[in-house]
Amino acid sequence: MTVSLTTAINAYVDAVKSANPGAGDAAPAQTPGSGFADLMKSIGEDAIAAGTKADQMSIAAVEGKANVAEVVTAVANAELALQTVVAVRDQVVQAYQEILRMPI
Amino acid sequence: MSEFQKAMQVATSGMIAQNVRVRVISQNIANAESLASNPGGDPYQRQTVSFKNAMDRASGVEVVEVGNIGVDHTAFARKFDPGHPAADANGYVLLPNVKPLVEMVDLRQAQRSYEANLRVVDVARTMIARTIDLLR
Repeated sequence: MTVSLTTAINAYVDAVKSANPGAGDAAPAQTPGSGFADLMKSIGEDAIAAGTKADQMSIAAVEGKANVAEVVTAVANAELALQTVVAVRDQVVQAYQEILRMPI
Repeated sequence: MSEFQKAMQVATSGMIAQNVRVRVISQNIANAESLASNPGGDPYQRQTVSFKNAMDRASGVEVVEVGNIGVDHTAFARKFDPGHPAADANGYVLLPNVKPLVEMVDLRQAQRSYEANLRVVDVARTMIARTIDLLR
């Protein structure tokens, strides 16, 4: 894998944050837009933390200092966090596109 | 940290504890015939591992830790071997108090415990992944 998990998660979070202002403007009430933004922010932060830990554990494993069980658990956590971010991003982008399709 | 991640953390601590147990067992098995080098010395003394539970402050879960690695104080057996450097006045040599059969059963038990913990990690990960799949 040439791209680290942290880079991938950062890229997804940035993509969603740039898509979010559109969803916030189109919705009439403030709460749905800000709800999505807060959700993505919290999930993104958790995912970035998990990704950083997984990267550190992988480097420690290459040096021979980490236990294989800890490395596997950290990488599994990071992978699940990334999947969560991707799934929520897909739903958010889908909702944004639905709103865009609304006739004026 | 969600409950699933806490479960995985606890299972990981269990796996690390079983790793230590397997290492001690391998020491015992490898040194099952390590005799003393002079008449006054003791041969290899079997080591034992004890586990204890500990509260992890950060996540509030009970993880398992290696309590301490002690020695087994069972008496040494004797073998008649006058030619050995460690033979005493009567020609007897003290043998280590390691029984290979007991160690093999302990090794099998350590493997079962490790696989049980591994299964917990696998099941937790599968549950999370299938929950996320609902969104697809």
